[in-house]
Amino acid sequence: MTNDEVENFEKIFGQFEGLHKEIGILSKKSPNDAINKFKLSFINKLLAEANEVLDEEQRPFDGFDSFDEDQLPTNSDVTMIFEQYLYCFEQFRSENIKHTQKWFGDKYVEKWVWLVEGQESEIQTAPPKKIKR
Amino acid sequence: MSILRPRLNDFHKIPFTQEEVGFAIPFLDEDISLYVDPFLLWKSPSMQDNSLHLSITNSFNNLGFLVNNRKEKAAIDIIIRASECNEVGFGTSKSRIGKRIGSKLAKSVLDVFTIIPQINKSGFIHFEEIQLLVDSFSKDRVSDIACNFIKSFLIDYTIEQAEQYGIPIEKVKLQNVYDLKNNKFDEEQTHLPVNPINKTPILFVPKRWLRFIPWINSDDYLNNYYVKKIHKEGDEFPDRVKLLRFNRDNYDIVKTYTAIKEKQLEHCKNDPLFRQIPVISAKRKITTISNLPTGKTENADRKYEYNICQLMASLVYPHLDFAQEQSRTDSGVLIRDLIFYNNRSLDFLKDIYNDYGCRQIVMELKNVREVNREHIFQLNRYLNDQFGKFEIIVARNQPLKKVFKNTIDLWSGQRRCILILDDSDIKMMAQVFESKQRYPIEIIKKKYIEFTRACPS
Repeated sequence: MTNDEVENFEKIFGQFEGLHKEIGILSKKSPNDAINKFKLSFINKLLAEANEVLDEEQRPFDGFDSFDEDQLPTNSDVTMIFEQYLYCFEQFRSENIKHTQKWFGDKYVEKWVWLVEGQESEIQTAPPKKIKR
Repeated sequence: MSILRPRLNDFHKIPFTQEEVGFAIPFLDEDISLYVDPFLLWKSPSMQDNSLHLSITNSFNNLGFLVNNRKEKAAIDIIIRASECNEVGFGTSKSRIGKRIGSKLAKSVLDVFTIIPQINKSGFIHFEEIQLLVDSFSKDRVSDIACNFIKSFLIDYTIEQAEQYGIPIEKVKLQNVYDLKNNKFDEEQTHLPVNPINKTPILFVPKRWLRFIPWINSDDYLNNYYVKKIHKEGDEFPDRVKLLRFNRDNYDIVKTYTAIKEKQLEHCKNDPLFRQIPVISAKRKITTISNLPTGKTENADRKYEYNICQLMASLVYPHLDFAQEQSRTDSGVLIRDLIFYNNRSLDFLKDIYNDYGCRQIVMELKNVREVNREHIFQLNRYLNDQFGKFEIIVARNQPLKKVFKNTIDLWSGQRRCILILDDSDIKMMAQVFESKQRYPIEIIKKKYIEFTRACPS
Protein backbone atom coordinates (compact mmCIF):
# COMPACT_ATOMS: atom_id res chain seq x y z
CA MET A 1 0.00 0.00 0.00
CA THR A 2 1.08 3.56 -0.61
CA ASN A 3 0.56 6.53 1.69
CA ASP A 4 -2.34 7.73 -0.50
CA GLU A 5 -3.96 4.31 -0.42
CA VAL A 6 -3.77 4.22 3.38
CA GLU A 7 -5.31 7.67 3.55
CA ASN A 8 -8.06 6.65 1.11
CA PHE A 9 -8.76 3.45 3.06
CA GLU A 10 -9.12 5.31 6.34
CA LYS A 11 -11.48 7.81 4.74
CA ILE A 12 -13.70 5.07 3.29
CA PHE A 13 -13.55 3.02 6.48
CA GLY A 14 -14.66 6.04 8.50
CA GLN A 15 -17.51 6.79 6.14
CA PHE A 16 -18.59 3.15 6.25
CA GLU A 17 -18.64 3.15 10.03
CA GLY A 18 -20.60 6.41 10.08
CA LEU A 19 -23.23 5.23 7.60
CA HIS A 20 -23.44 1.83 9.29
CA LYS A 21 -24.24 3.58 12.55
CA GLU A 22 -26.86 5.83 10.96
CA ILE A 23 -28.60 3.11 9.00
CA GLY A 24 -28.29 0.79 12.01
CA ILE A 25 -30.40 3.23 14.03
CA LEU A 26 -33.01 3.34 11.25
CA SER A 27 -32.88 -0.43 10.96
CA LYS A 28 -33.65 -0.89 14.65
CA LYS A 29 -36.67 1.39 14.31
CA SER A 30 -38.04 0.00 11.06
CA PRO A 31 -35.99 -2.81 9.55
CA ASN A 32 -38.34 -3.35 6.61
CA ASP A 33 -38.57 0.24 5.49
CA ALA A 34 -37.07 1.04 2.10
CA ILE A 35 -34.05 3.31 1.80
CA ASN A 36 -34.74 6.46 -0.20
CA LYS A 37 -33.01 7.11 -3.51
CA PHE A 38 -30.90 9.96 -2.16
CA LYS A 39 -29.34 7.83 0.58
CA LEU A 40 -29.03 4.90 -1.78
CA SER A 41 -26.99 6.89 -4.28
CA PHE A 42 -24.40 7.66 -1.57
CA ILE A 43 -24.43 4.11 -0.26
CA ASN A 44 -23.74 2.78 -3.76
CA LYS A 45 -21.02 5.39 -4.33
CA LEU A 46 -19.34 4.29 -1.12
CA LEU A 47 -19.68 0.64 -2.07
CA ALA A 48 -18.04 1.38 -5.44
CA GLU A 49 -15.09 3.01 -3.64
CA ALA A 50 -14.88 0.06 -1.24
CA ASN A 51 -14.85 -2.36 -4.17
CA GLU A 52 -11.85 -0.54 -5.58
CA VAL A 53 -9.95 -1.03 -2.33
CA LEU A 54 -10.92 -4.67 -1.81
CA ASP A 55 -10.05 -7.33 -4.38
CA GLU A 56 -12.82 -9.59 -5.51
CA GLU A 57 -11.76 -12.36 -3.15
CA GLN A 58 -11.55 -9.91 -0.25
CA ARG A 59 -15.18 -8.74 -0.76
CA PRO A 60 -17.91 -10.30 1.39
CA PHE A 61 -20.12 -11.84 -1.32
CA ASP A 62 -19.48 -13.08 -4.81
CA GLY A 63 -21.50 -11.20 -7.38
CA PHE A 64 -22.58 -8.38 -5.08
CA ASP A 65 -21.14 -4.99 -5.81
CA SER A 66 -23.99 -2.51 -5.24
CA PHE A 67 -27.68 -2.23 -4.38
CA ASP A 68 -30.26 -2.22 -7.16
CA GLU A 69 -32.40 0.87 -6.72
CA ASP A 70 -35.40 -0.91 -8.23
CA GLN A 71 -35.16 -3.78 -5.77
CA LEU A 72 -36.00 -1.35 -2.94
CA PRO A 73 -33.34 -2.41 -0.45
CA THR A 74 -34.46 -2.03 3.15
CA ASN A 75 -32.66 -0.63 6.18
CA SER A 76 -31.87 -4.13 7.39
CA ASP A 77 -30.50 -5.16 3.97
CA VAL A 78 -28.06 -2.26 4.01
CA THR A 79 -27.08 -2.86 7.63
CA MET A 80 -26.37 -6.51 6.92
CA ILE A 81 -24.18 -5.76 3.89
CA PHE A 82 -22.33 -2.97 5.68
CA GLU A 83 -21.66 -5.29 8.61
CA GLN A 84 -20.00 -7.75 6.22
CA TYR A 85 -17.99 -5.05 4.48
CA LEU A 86 -16.76 -3.69 7.81
CA TYR A 87 -15.60 -7.18 8.74
CA CYS A 88 -13.72 -7.49 5.43
CA PHE A 89 -12.22 -4.04 5.89
CA GLU A 90 -10.98 -5.02 9.31
CA GLN A 91 -9.45 -8.18 7.91
CA PHE A 92 -7.77 -6.16 5.17
CA ARG A 93 -6.46 -3.67 7.71
CA SER A 94 -5.15 -6.42 10.01
CA GLU A 95 -3.13 -7.75 7.10
CA ASN A 96 -1.57 -4.37 6.42
CA ILE A 97 -0.60 -3.15 9.89
CA LYS A 98 2.19 -4.06 12.26
CA HIS A 99 2.83 -3.86 15.97
CA THR A 100 6.01 -1.98 16.90
CA GLN A 101 7.83 -1.40 20.16
CA LYS A 102 10.43 1.30 20.66
CA TRP A 103 12.59 2.18 23.65
CA PHE A 104 12.25 5.82 24.67
CA GLY A 105 14.82 6.51 27.39
CA ASP A 106 13.06 4.89 30.32
CA LYS A 107 10.16 2.97 28.78
CA TYR A 108 8.94 0.99 25.81
CA VAL A 109 6.29 2.66 23.68
CA GLU A 110 4.06 0.24 21.83
CA LYS A 111 2.05 1.18 18.80
CA TRP A 112 0.38 -0.17 15.69
CA VAL A 113 1.44 1.31 12.38
CA TRP A 114 0.56 0.82 8.72
CA LEU A 115 2.87 -1.05 6.40
CA VAL A 116 3.62 1.22 3.46
CA GLU A 117 5.35 -0.44 0.49
CA GLY A 118 5.94 -3.42 2.79
CA GLN A 119 7.83 -1.32 5.35
CA GLU A 120 6.81 0.02 8.76
CA SER A 121 5.56 3.57 8.43
CA GLU A 122 4.93 6.38 10.88
CA ILE A 123 1.15 6.26 10.20
CA GLN A 124 -0.40 5.03 13.42
CA THR A 125 -3.53 2.99 13.57
CA ALA A 126 -5.70 1.15 16.09
CA PRO A 127 -4.89 -2.44 17.07
CA PRO A 128 -6.75 -5.16 15.16
CA LYS A 129 -10.13 -5.69 16.71
CA LYS A 130 -9.91 -9.47 16.86
CA ILE A 131 -6.38 -9.65 18.27
CA LYS A 132 -6.12 -9.61 22.02
CA ARG A 133 -2.83 -9.57 23.85
CA MET B 1 -60.77 -3.31 -25.67
CA SER B 2 -63.07 -1.36 -23.37
CA ILE B 3 -62.27 1.12 -20.63
CA LEU B 4 -64.28 1.18 -17.44
CA ARG B 5 -65.53 4.57 -16.30
CA PRO B 6 -63.67 6.34 -19.12
CA ARG B 7 -62.37 9.88 -18.75
CA LEU B 8 -61.70 12.29 -21.58
CA ASN B 9 -57.93 11.88 -21.52
CA ASP B 10 -58.19 8.06 -21.41
CA PHE B 11 -60.31 8.10 -24.53
CA HIS B 12 -57.74 10.23 -26.36
CA LYS B 13 -54.84 8.20 -24.87
CA ILE B 14 -53.32 11.33 -23.36
CA PRO B 15 -51.12 10.46 -20.41
CA PHE B 16 -51.75 12.71 -17.44
CA THR B 17 -53.03 12.03 -13.96
CA GLN B 18 -55.60 14.03 -12.05
CA GLU B 19 -52.85 15.28 -9.75
CA GLU B 20 -50.89 16.82 -12.64
CA VAL B 21 -53.62 18.99 -14.12
CA GLY B 22 -55.37 22.03 -12.70
CA PHE B 23 -58.86 21.03 -13.82
CA ALA B 24 -61.15 18.17 -12.89
CA ILE B 25 -60.83 15.53 -15.62
CA PRO B 26 -64.37 14.90 -16.89
CA PHE B 27 -65.86 11.41 -17.13
CA LEU B 28 -67.49 10.62 -20.45
CA ASP B 29 -70.60 8.89 -19.19
CA GLU B 30 -71.27 10.31 -15.75
CA ASP B 31 -70.96 13.43 -13.62
CA ILE B 32 -68.23 14.28 -11.13
CA SER B 33 -69.84 14.48 -7.69
CA LEU B 34 -68.30 17.84 -6.84
CA TYR B 35 -69.66 21.34 -7.26
CA VAL B 36 -68.34 24.81 -7.97
CA ASP B 37 -68.58 26.80 -4.77
CA PRO B 38 -68.75 30.54 -5.53
CA PHE B 39 -67.39 31.23 -2.04
CA LEU B 40 -64.04 29.75 -3.11
CA LEU B 41 -63.86 32.35 -5.88
CA TRP B 42 -64.72 35.09 -3.39
CA LYS B 43 -62.04 34.03 -0.89
CA SER B 44 -59.37 33.26 -3.50
CA PRO B 45 -56.23 35.41 -3.39
CA SER B 46 -56.44 35.61 -7.18
CA MET B 47 -57.89 38.86 -8.49
CA GLN B 48 -59.17 36.97 -11.50
CA ASP B 49 -61.25 34.66 -9.30
CA ASN B 50 -62.57 37.63 -7.32
CA SER B 51 -63.61 39.38 -10.53
CA LEU B 52 -65.36 36.25 -11.73
CA HIS B 53 -67.22 36.08 -8.42
CA LEU B 54 -68.23 39.68 -8.92
CA SER B 55 -69.48 38.86 -12.41
CA ILE B 56 -71.56 35.98 -11.06
CA THR B 57 -73.03 38.16 -8.32
CA ASN B 58 -73.76 41.05 -10.68
CA SER B 59 -75.41 38.75 -13.18
CA PHE B 60 -77.54 37.22 -10.45
CA ASN B 61 -78.46 40.62 -8.98
CA ASN B 62 -79.43 41.74 -12.47
CA LEU B 63 -82.36 39.36 -12.12
CA GLY B 64 -83.57 41.57 -9.26
CA PHE B 65 -83.14 44.62 -11.44
CA LEU B 66 -85.28 43.00 -14.14
CA VAL B 67 -87.96 42.05 -11.62
CA ASN B 68 -88.04 45.57 -10.21
CA ASN B 69 -88.44 46.91 -13.74
CA ARG B 70 -91.36 44.63 -14.48
CA LYS B 71 -89.36 42.39 -16.76
CA GLU B 72 -90.10 39.29 -14.76
CA LYS B 73 -90.58 37.13 -17.84
CA ALA B 74 -87.04 37.90 -19.06
CA ALA B 75 -85.69 37.21 -15.56
CA ILE B 76 -87.49 33.85 -15.40
CA ASP B 77 -86.06 32.91 -18.78
CA ILE B 78 -82.52 33.75 -17.63
CA ILE B 79 -82.72 31.89 -14.32
CA ILE B 80 -84.16 28.81 -16.03
CA ARG B 81 -81.46 28.82 -18.69
CA ALA B 82 -78.80 29.39 -16.03
CA SER B 83 -80.01 26.53 -13.84
CA GLU B 84 -78.30 23.68 -15.69
CA CYS B 85 -74.82 23.52 -17.19
CA ASN B 86 -74.31 20.11 -18.81
CA GLU B 87 -70.94 21.07 -20.32
CA VAL B 88 -69.17 21.01 -16.92
CA GLY B 89 -70.68 17.70 -15.79
CA PHE B 90 -70.94 18.21 -12.04
CA GLY B 91 -73.54 16.48 -9.91
CA THR B 92 -74.82 12.98 -9.54
CA SER B 93 -76.18 12.25 -13.01
CA LYS B 94 -75.18 8.97 -14.58
CA SER B 95 -75.60 10.42 -18.05
CA ARG B 96 -74.02 13.90 -17.81
CA ILE B 97 -77.40 15.39 -18.68
CA GLY B 98 -79.38 17.31 -16.08
CA LYS B 99 -82.71 19.06 -16.03
CA ARG B 100 -83.37 22.76 -15.72
CA ILE B 101 -85.59 24.17 -13.01
CA GLY B 102 -89.25 24.78 -13.71
CA SER B 103 -90.92 28.16 -13.93
CA LYS B 104 -92.49 27.70 -10.47
CA LEU B 105 -89.11 27.38 -8.76
CA ALA B 106 -87.73 30.16 -10.93
CA LYS B 107 -90.54 32.41 -9.74
CA SER B 108 -89.84 31.51 -6.09
CA VAL B 109 -86.20 32.52 -6.57
CA LEU B 110 -87.13 35.83 -8.14
CA ASP B 111 -89.72 36.52 -5.44
CA VAL B 112 -86.84 36.85 -2.98
CA PHE B 113 -85.91 40.12 -4.71
CA THR B 114 -89.30 41.59 -3.92
CA ILE B 115 -90.08 39.96 -0.56
CA ILE B 116 -86.85 40.81 1.24
CA PRO B 117 -86.25 44.58 1.41
CA GLN B 118 -82.48 44.33 1.98
CA ILE B 119 -82.07 42.20 -1.15
CA ASN B 120 -84.45 44.38 -3.10
CA LYS B 121 -82.30 47.37 -2.26
CA SER B 122 -78.74 46.00 -2.36
CA GLY B 123 -78.91 42.55 -3.92
CA PHE B 124 -76.77 39.58 -2.85
CA ILE B 125 -73.08 39.38 -2.09
CA HIS B 126 -73.23 35.58 -1.82
CA PHE B 127 -76.10 34.41 -4.00
CA GLU B 128 -75.79 30.89 -2.54
CA GLU B 129 -77.85 32.30 0.36
CA ILE B 130 -80.79 31.43 -1.91
CA GLN B 131 -80.46 27.88 -0.53
CA LEU B 132 -81.52 29.27 2.85
CA LEU B 133 -84.45 31.19 1.43
CA VAL B 134 -86.05 29.03 -1.25
CA ASP B 135 -87.13 25.41 -1.07
CA SER B 136 -85.69 22.86 -3.56
CA PHE B 137 -82.79 25.11 -4.52
CA SER B 138 -79.85 22.78 -4.06
CA LYS B 139 -76.07 22.94 -4.27
CA ASP B 140 -76.00 21.72 -7.88
CA ARG B 141 -78.11 24.74 -8.89
CA VAL B 142 -75.67 27.09 -7.18
CA SER B 143 -72.81 25.43 -9.04
CA ASP B 144 -74.55 25.40 -12.42
CA ILE B 145 -75.71 29.03 -12.18
CA ALA B 146 -72.17 30.10 -11.26
CA CYS B 147 -70.74 28.14 -14.22
CA ASN B 148 -73.29 29.53 -16.66
CA PHE B 149 -72.64 33.13 -15.69
CA ILE B 150 -68.89 32.72 -16.24
CA LYS B 151 -69.12 30.33 -19.17
CA SER B 152 -67.25 32.71 -21.43
CA PHE B 153 -64.25 32.50 -19.11
CA LEU B 154 -64.59 28.70 -18.87
CA ILE B 155 -64.50 28.45 -22.67
CA ASP B 156 -61.18 30.33 -22.78
CA TYR B 157 -59.82 28.30 -19.88
CA THR B 158 -60.83 25.03 -21.54
CA ILE B 159 -59.23 25.97 -24.88
CA GLU B 160 -56.02 26.98 -23.09
CA GLN B 161 -55.86 23.74 -21.09
CA ALA B 162 -56.77 21.63 -24.14
CA GLU B 163 -53.92 23.20 -26.09
CA GLN B 164 -51.50 22.71 -23.21
CA TYR B 165 -52.25 19.00 -22.86
CA GLY B 166 -52.97 18.23 -26.50
CA ILE B 167 -56.66 17.42 -26.03
CA PRO B 168 -58.42 17.58 -29.42
CA ILE B 169 -60.99 20.35 -29.85
CA GLU B 170 -63.78 20.63 -32.42
CA LYS B 171 -66.05 23.32 -33.74
CA VAL B 172 -69.15 23.45 -31.55
CA LYS B 173 -72.19 25.63 -31.13
CA LEU B 174 -72.96 26.50 -27.51
CA GLN B 175 -76.58 27.41 -26.86
CA ASN B 176 -76.19 29.06 -23.51
CA VAL B 177 -73.36 31.56 -23.22
CA TYR B 178 -74.08 34.49 -20.95
CA ASP B 179 -73.32 37.89 -22.43
CA LEU B 180 -72.24 40.12 -19.54
CA LYS B 181 -72.62 43.32 -21.53
CA ASN B 182 -76.23 42.74 -22.52
CA ASN B 183 -77.13 40.48 -19.59
CA LYS B 184 -78.69 37.75 -21.68
CA PHE B 185 -77.93 34.29 -22.95
CA ASP B 186 -76.71 33.91 -26.53
CA GLU B 187 -75.45 31.25 -28.89
CA GLU B 188 -71.76 31.10 -29.58
CA GLN B 189 -69.67 29.15 -32.03
CA THR B 190 -66.31 28.13 -30.68
CA HIS B 191 -63.87 25.23 -30.45
CA LEU B 192 -64.05 22.89 -27.47
CA PRO B 193 -63.29 19.27 -26.57
CA VAL B 194 -66.33 17.11 -27.23
CA ASN B 195 -67.67 14.02 -25.57
CA PRO B 196 -66.91 11.22 -28.06
CA ILE B 197 -70.00 9.32 -26.94
CA ASN B 198 -72.60 11.96 -27.81
CA LYS B 199 -70.54 14.78 -29.38
CA THR B 200 -71.64 17.31 -26.77
CA PRO B 201 -69.14 20.05 -25.81
CA ILE B 202 -67.11 19.73 -22.61
CA LEU B 203 -65.89 22.55 -20.38
CA PHE B 204 -63.04 22.20 -17.89
CA VAL B 205 -63.33 23.76 -14.44
CA PRO B 206 -60.38 24.57 -12.15
CA LYS B 207 -60.04 22.08 -9.28
CA ARG B 208 -59.50 24.93 -6.84
CA TRP B 209 -63.18 25.96 -7.12
CA LEU B 210 -64.67 22.59 -6.22
CA ARG B 211 -66.26 21.36 -3.03
CA PHE B 212 -68.64 18.54 -2.13
CA ILE B 213 -70.98 21.02 -0.49
CA PRO B 214 -70.93 24.82 -0.69
CA TRP B 215 -69.37 26.69 2.23
CA ILE B 216 -72.70 28.41 2.81
CA ASN B 217 -75.31 25.67 2.91
CA SER B 218 -78.60 24.96 4.60
CA ASP B 219 -77.44 21.98 6.72
CA ASP B 220 -74.56 23.96 8.16
CA TYR B 221 -76.87 26.92 8.76
CA LEU B 222 -79.38 24.74 10.59
CA ASN B 223 -76.98 22.66 12.69
CA ASN B 224 -74.20 25.10 13.43
CA TYR B 225 -76.02 28.39 13.55
CA TYR B 226 -79.77 28.18 13.88
CA VAL B 227 -79.87 25.39 16.48
CA LYS B 228 -77.04 26.84 18.54
CA LYS B 229 -77.75 30.56 18.35
CA ILE B 230 -81.35 31.18 17.39
CA HIS B 231 -83.45 28.25 18.49
CA LYS B 232 -84.70 28.49 22.07
CA GLU B 233 -85.18 25.41 24.17
CA GLY B 234 -88.83 24.49 24.50
CA ASP B 235 -89.80 26.17 21.21
CA GLU B 236 -91.25 24.07 18.48
CA PHE B 237 -88.56 22.98 16.06
CA PRO B 238 -89.41 24.36 12.61
CA ASP B 239 -89.67 22.04 9.63
CA ARG B 240 -87.77 22.94 6.48
CA VAL B 241 -90.52 25.06 4.93
CA LYS B 242 -91.10 26.97 8.16
CA LEU B 243 -87.39 27.56 8.55
CA LEU B 244 -87.13 28.97 5.03
CA ARG B 245 -90.05 31.26 5.76
CA PHE B 246 -88.40 32.30 9.03
CA ASN B 247 -85.20 33.08 7.11
CA ARG B 248 -87.05 35.17 4.56
CA ASP B 249 -88.79 37.09 7.35
CA ASN B 250 -85.54 37.52 9.29
CA TYR B 251 -82.98 38.03 6.59
CA ASP B 252 -80.67 39.85 9.03
CA ILE B 253 -80.13 36.50 10.77
CA VAL B 254 -79.07 34.95 7.46
CA LYS B 255 -76.76 37.92 6.88
CA THR B 256 -75.18 37.39 10.29
CA TYR B 257 -74.62 33.71 9.49
CA THR B 258 -73.01 34.68 6.16
CA ALA B 259 -70.83 37.25 7.94
CA ILE B 260 -69.63 34.53 10.35
CA LYS B 261 -68.85 32.24 7.40
CA GLU B 262 -66.91 35.05 5.78
CA LYS B 263 -64.86 35.44 8.94
CA GLN B 264 -64.13 31.71 8.93
CA LEU B 265 -62.87 31.83 5.35
CA GLU B 266 -59.50 30.31 6.26
CA HIS B 267 -61.24 27.02 7.01
CA CYS B 268 -62.91 26.99 3.61
CA LYS B 269 -60.81 24.74 1.39
CA ASN B 270 -61.51 23.09 -1.91
CA ASP B 271 -62.13 19.34 -1.79
CA PRO B 272 -59.71 17.14 -3.72
CA LEU B 273 -61.09 14.74 -6.31
CA PHE B 274 -59.43 11.93 -4.40
CA ARG B 275 -58.37 12.00 -0.76
CA GLN B 276 -55.76 9.54 0.46
CA ILE B 277 -56.49 7.80 3.74
CA PRO B 278 -54.28 8.99 6.63
CA VAL B 279 -51.21 6.97 7.62
CA ILE B 280 -52.77 5.90 10.92
CA SER B 281 -55.74 4.53 9.05
CA ALA B 282 -53.47 2.68 6.61
CA LYS B 283 -51.67 1.08 9.57
CA ARG B 284 -54.97 0.01 11.10
CA LYS B 285 -56.04 -1.56 7.84
CA ILE B 286 -52.76 -3.46 7.60
CA THR B 287 -53.30 -4.80 11.11
CA THR B 288 -56.87 -5.80 10.23
CA ILE B 289 -55.74 -7.51 7.03
CA SER B 290 -52.93 -9.38 8.81
CA ASN B 291 -55.37 -10.72 11.40
CA LEU B 292 -57.94 -11.90 8.88
CA PRO B 293 -58.09 -15.61 8.16
CA THR B 294 -58.03 -16.76 4.56
CA GLY B 295 -61.21 -18.04 2.94
CA LYS B 296 -64.73 -17.00 3.77
CA THR B 297 -64.82 -17.63 7.52
CA GLU B 298 -66.90 -14.90 9.16
CA ASN B 299 -66.97 -12.94 5.92
CA ALA B 300 -63.19 -12.62 5.97
CA ASP B 301 -63.14 -12.37 2.18
CA ARG B 302 -65.42 -9.33 2.17
CA LYS B 303 -63.51 -7.65 4.98
CA TYR B 304 -60.27 -8.33 3.11
CA GLU B 305 -61.65 -6.84 -0.11
CA TYR B 306 -63.04 -3.80 1.68
CA ASN B 307 -59.76 -3.04 3.44
CA ILE B 308 -57.51 -3.70 0.45
CA CYS B 309 -59.69 -1.50 -1.75
CA GLN B 310 -59.46 1.46 0.61
CA LEU B 311 -55.77 0.91 1.18
CA MET B 312 -54.64 0.28 -2.38
CA ALA B 313 -56.43 3.29 -3.88
CA SER B 314 -54.49 5.50 -1.46
CA LEU B 315 -51.18 3.67 -1.70
CA VAL B 316 -50.80 3.98 -5.46
CA TYR B 317 -52.08 7.58 -5.61
CA PRO B 318 -51.09 9.91 -7.33
CA HIS B 319 -49.37 7.64 -9.86
CA LEU B 320 -52.52 5.67 -10.55
CA ASP B 321 -55.97 7.23 -10.38
CA PHE B 322 -58.58 4.89 -9.00
CA ALA B 323 -61.35 4.18 -11.51
CA GLN B 324 -63.73 1.85 -9.72
CA GLU B 325 -64.40 -1.40 -7.92
CA GLN B 326 -65.98 -4.12 -9.94
CA SER B 327 -67.59 -7.44 -9.16
CA ARG B 328 -67.86 -10.20 -11.71
CA THR B 329 -68.68 -13.88 -11.70
CA ASP B 330 -66.47 -16.53 -13.23
CA SER B 331 -67.50 -20.19 -13.09
CA GLY B 332 -69.95 -19.36 -10.32
CA VAL B 333 -67.32 -17.60 -8.21
CA LEU B 334 -67.72 -13.94 -7.32
CA ILE B 335 -64.54 -12.05 -8.07
CA ARG B 336 -63.77 -8.56 -6.88
CA ASP B 337 -61.46 -6.30 -8.89
CA LEU B 338 -60.00 -2.86 -8.44
CA ILE B 339 -59.52 -0.90 -11.63
CA PHE B 340 -56.98 1.91 -12.00
CA TYR B 341 -56.34 4.21 -14.95
CA ASN B 342 -52.85 3.78 -16.35
CA ASN B 343 -51.73 7.25 -17.32
CA ARG B 344 -48.07 6.30 -17.79
CA SER B 345 -46.86 8.50 -14.94
CA LEU B 346 -43.78 6.30 -14.30
CA ASP B 347 -41.33 4.55 -16.62
CA PHE B 348 -42.55 1.10 -15.71
CA LEU B 349 -46.17 2.15 -16.23
CA LYS B 350 -45.16 3.34 -19.70
CA ASP B 351 -43.54 -0.05 -20.29
CA ILE B 352 -46.64 -2.02 -19.38
CA TYR B 353 -48.76 0.36 -21.46
CA ASN B 354 -46.56 -0.17 -24.51
CA ASP B 355 -45.68 -3.84 -24.04
CA TYR B 356 -48.98 -5.19 -22.75
CA GLY B 357 -51.50 -2.62 -24.04
CA CYS B 358 -52.46 -1.91 -20.44
CA ARG B 359 -54.68 1.18 -20.41
CA GLN B 360 -56.28 0.19 -17.14
CA ILE B 361 -54.64 -1.86 -14.43
CA VAL B 362 -56.84 -4.54 -12.95
CA MET B 363 -56.08 -5.86 -9.47
CA GLU B 364 -57.91 -9.03 -8.58
CA LEU B 365 -58.38 -9.59 -4.85
CA LYS B 366 -57.99 -13.15 -3.60
CA ASN B 367 -58.31 -13.94 0.07
CA VAL B 368 -57.09 -17.49 -0.44
CA ARG B 369 -54.41 -19.45 1.38
CA GLU B 370 -52.57 -20.10 -1.83
CA VAL B 371 -53.00 -18.93 -5.38
CA ASN B 372 -53.27 -21.96 -7.63
CA ARG B 373 -53.06 -22.67 -11.35
CA GLU B 374 -56.81 -22.43 -11.78
CA HIS B 375 -56.75 -18.83 -10.46
CA ILE B 376 -54.08 -17.96 -13.00
CA PHE B 377 -55.96 -19.57 -15.89
CA GLN B 378 -59.23 -17.97 -14.79
CA LEU B 379 -57.56 -14.59 -14.87
CA ASN B 380 -55.95 -15.31 -18.21
CA ARG B 381 -59.36 -16.00 -19.74
CA TYR B 382 -60.64 -12.73 -18.31
CA LEU B 383 -57.68 -10.78 -19.64
CA ASN B 384 -58.50 -12.10 -23.09
CA ASP B 385 -61.96 -10.63 -22.98
CA GLN B 386 -61.61 -7.27 -21.37
CA PHE B 387 -58.29 -5.67 -20.67
CA GLY B 388 -54.71 -5.61 -21.89
CA LYS B 389 -52.23 -8.33 -21.17
CA PHE B 390 -51.22 -7.16 -17.70
CA GLU B 391 -52.87 -7.85 -14.37
CA ILE B 392 -52.12 -8.04 -10.69
CA ILE B 393 -53.40 -10.62 -8.24
CA VAL B 394 -53.47 -9.38 -4.66
CA ALA B 395 -53.30 -12.47 -2.49
CA ARG B 396 -52.38 -13.40 1.06
CA ASN B 397 -49.27 -15.55 0.70
CA GLN B 398 -46.33 -15.76 -1.62
CA PRO B 399 -47.19 -18.04 -4.56
CA LEU B 400 -45.61 -21.47 -4.76
CA LYS B 401 -42.77 -21.84 -7.23
CA LYS B 402 -44.92 -23.87 -9.62
CA VAL B 403 -47.56 -21.14 -9.66
CA PHE B 404 -44.97 -18.46 -10.30
CA LYS B 405 -43.66 -20.67 -13.10
CA ASN B 406 -47.20 -20.78 -14.54
CA THR B 407 -47.13 -17.00 -14.85
CA ILE B 408 -43.74 -17.16 -16.54
CA ASP B 409 -45.03 -19.83 -18.92
CA LEU B 410 -47.96 -17.59 -19.77
CA TRP B 411 -45.52 -14.85 -20.66
CA SER B 412 -43.46 -17.25 -22.75
CA GLY B 413 -46.48 -18.53 -24.65
CA GLN B 414 -48.75 -15.52 -24.89
CA ARG B 415 -46.68 -12.54 -23.69
CA ARG B 416 -48.99 -11.92 -20.74
CA CYS B 417 -47.83 -10.55 -17.43
CA ILE B 418 -49.53 -11.54 -14.19
CA LEU B 419 -47.94 -10.23 -11.01
CA ILE B 420 -48.80 -11.62 -7.60
CA LEU B 421 -48.60 -9.34 -4.57
CA ASP B 422 -48.89 -10.85 -1.11
CA ASP B 423 -49.36 -9.56 2.44
CA SER B 424 -45.65 -8.83 2.84
CA ASP B 425 -45.69 -6.59 -0.26
CA ILE B 426 -48.78 -4.76 0.96
CA LYS B 427 -47.13 -4.28 4.35
CA MET B 428 -44.05 -2.85 2.72
CA MET B 429 -46.19 -0.54 0.61
CA ALA B 430 -47.89 0.70 3.76
CA GLN B 431 -44.49 1.06 5.45
CA VAL B 432 -43.11 3.33 2.70
CA PHE B 433 -46.47 5.14 2.56
CA GLU B 434 -45.79 6.06 6.18
CA SER B 435 -42.05 6.75 5.97
CA LYS B 436 -42.24 8.51 2.58
CA GLN B 437 -38.80 7.13 1.76
CA ARG B 438 -40.04 5.63 -1.52
CA TYR B 439 -43.32 5.53 -3.43
CA PRO B 440 -45.51 2.50 -2.59
CA ILE B 441 -46.01 1.88 -6.29
CA GLU B 442 -42.29 1.12 -6.54
CA ILE B 443 -43.02 -2.17 -4.76
CA ILE B 444 -45.21 -3.11 -7.73
CA LYS B 445 -42.39 -2.00 -10.03
CA LYS B 446 -40.01 -4.24 -8.04
CA LYS B 447 -42.33 -7.21 -8.56
CA TYR B 448 -42.52 -6.39 -12.25
CA ILE B 449 -38.72 -6.31 -12.53
CA GLU B 450 -38.45 -9.62 -10.67
CA PHE B 451 -41.00 -11.05 -13.06
CA THR B 452 -39.21 -9.80 -16.19
CA ARG B 453 -35.86 -11.08 -14.90
CA ALA B 454 -37.38 -14.50 -14.40
CA CYS B 455 -38.72 -14.55 -17.97
CA PRO B 456 -36.59 -16.48 -20.49
CA SER B 457 -34.47 -14.17 -22.61
